[in-house]
Amino acid sequence: MIRVEHLSKEYKIARRKPGLRGAAQNLFHRTYDTKAAVSDVSFSIDQGEMVGYIGANGAGKSTTIKMLCGILTPTAGEVKVAGIVPYKQRQRNARNIGAVFGQRTQLFWDIPARESFNLLKHIYQIPQHRFAENLRTFSDVLELEPLFGRPVRQMSLGEKMRCELAAAFLQDPLVVYLDEPTIGLDVSVKARIRQFIREMNRNRKTTVILTTHDMQDIEEICSRLIMIDAGRLLYDGDLRSVRQRFGNRRTIHFDLATPATDTGMPAQLAPWVFAEWEGRERVHIQFDARQTSASDVIAAMLQSYAVRDLTITDPSIESIVKDIYERGLS
Amino acid sequence: MRKYIEIFKSQLQLDAAYNGWFWANAVASVIGLLIAFSFWHAVYRNTTQIANMNLPKMISYVVIAMLLGNYVSGVGNRLSESIRSGEVAIELMKPYDLLLKLIWIDLGSKVSASVRDSLPLLVIGYAFLGVQAPVSLAGGALFAVSAMLGVLIGTQFDLIIGVLAFWTVNVWGLRVLRRGILSIFSGALIPVTLFPAWLLHISEVLPFQSMVYTPVAIYTGAIPLQAVGMTLLIQAVWLIGLYVLVRLIWSVALRKVVIFGG
Repeated sequence: MIRVEHLSKEYKIARRKPGLRGAAQNLFHRTYDTKAAVSDVSFSIDQGEMVGYIGANGAGKSTTIKMLCGILTPTAGEVKVAGIVPYKQRQRNARNIGAVFGQRTQLFWDIPARESFNLLKHIYQIPQHRFAENLRTFSDVLELEPLFGRPVRQMSLGEKMRCELAAAFLQDPLVVYLDEPTIGLDVSVKARIRQFIREMNRNRKTTVILTTHDMQDIEEICSRLIMIDAGRLLYDGDLRSVRQRFGNRRTIHFDLATPATDTGMPAQLAPWVFAEWEGRERVHIQFDARQTSASDVIAAMLQSYAVRDLTITDPSIESIVKDIYERGLS
Repeated sequence: MRKYIEIFKSQLQLDAAYNGWFWANAVASVIGLLIAFSFWHAVYRNTTQIANMNLPKMISYVVIAMLLGNYVSGVGNRLSESIRSGEVAIELMKPYDLLLKLIWIDLGSKVSASVRDSLPLLVIGYAFLGVQAPVSLAGGALFAVSAMLGVLIGTQFDLIIGVLAFWTVNVWGLRVLRRGILSIFSGALIPVTLFPAWLLHISEVLPFQSMVYTPVAIYTGAIPLQAVGMTLLIQAVWLIGLYVLVRLIWSVALRKVVIFGG
């Protein structure tokens, strides 16, 4: 469905000299820096796959997605989506794809959602029966019914995102790009949205590419991960091996009631954990749940320190990417 | 084609939704009209002819020109704004031609504007200010054709400024420049025939007088009927020329496009 070969994209960024004098100089003479946003990335994705495309901010995720959408022209390399080179046949490609960008809306801000969908029907030339059927199916899962009469500007974030998702799948796209579709949403809306995406994929074989910073999104939706860092492909493989490696990792954050006099770890913990101190009153302890348990860590810490508060967290995408980057996946 | 017509219709809907804005604009144009009316009355107090135009003729020119002047701006602003904010990325992912879409949106908002601004201006102009009817029925029809061409030329010119946002990011300065040039050379403020000869020559080789002066001069009869064919041809050539130019800049822009924001 998607083939990407040796894809690269460089940006030219005007170097701005500081100050008023610099600004004046910039008027006459500009120097450019070249920044490689994506370098030599290759992968291929089959129809019906659900792929998490992840990396830190600025890693090159959106640049890649934009090239897949045909908005950006690659500096080098090849892209094909459903047999079409997106930037050469932007409009034909547009008919095959759907997208949700968490930060932007593709619905029309000022007209009721129903009219927005109607306009999309004409824009994508969706046959009336498909349109009606899709809207009905989507309404069931996403509970759109009460939203139809309202314009986007009067919707809450969760309501807006439900409409955006419906809009992205409305024209029966072959591929859907989802950029942070659950950012800032509450748990129940997140769950609904994930369920919707899974159903779409199961019933229609829609290929889904998801970029997110939410590990839960990935776990519940994707079966494969592609990671990039600094524009380079870092990992491409199934989610399972990443989960085996990181799924058991926990971090416990302790707030101490009194400053610690010594920042060593209790002897029984030392071999299993990695501690990171933030001043003398906060410490983050990382460990593998298979080697030692959270209760052991907490018990040992309570013995040695006056703990005021503690929280347990799962690893973040950023820490996983960082880890793979530094140590590789072994 | 159908999709563009639907887009056009949605723009009409949108304009109607902004009711307050709608009427505020209408009031503003009427006030502008009354100011221009008193101004020219004052000018003609000590003279009966300026550049072969008597007062009723001048008033007719000014009112009709003001009316058309409302149409020379367009969607360029919207384009540059969406380029600046990165919103254009989403537009480019849709299966339509963005420029065509903008032109249709522009037509939609101009149809709304003709109800909102032009209708009150016309009614007041004919009823109270002594605006003359077109020189002849044929003159009136040719004026309509010429006005249509003028409006479309205005849209294209506006789109050029809009597309330039890909390079300059901020087109505010360009827009100010554009406004200045247009109010002088389009003839929206005063007939270009009032210019000194050298300025008139410059104006004649520029596309701007095609937007307002040409149609209004057909209306008032300043361009005789037998010469109208030629002026319409000139307008058509400008329209096609600018259209091609916009497309050219657009395709270059898309190839080296940088979309801002994530």
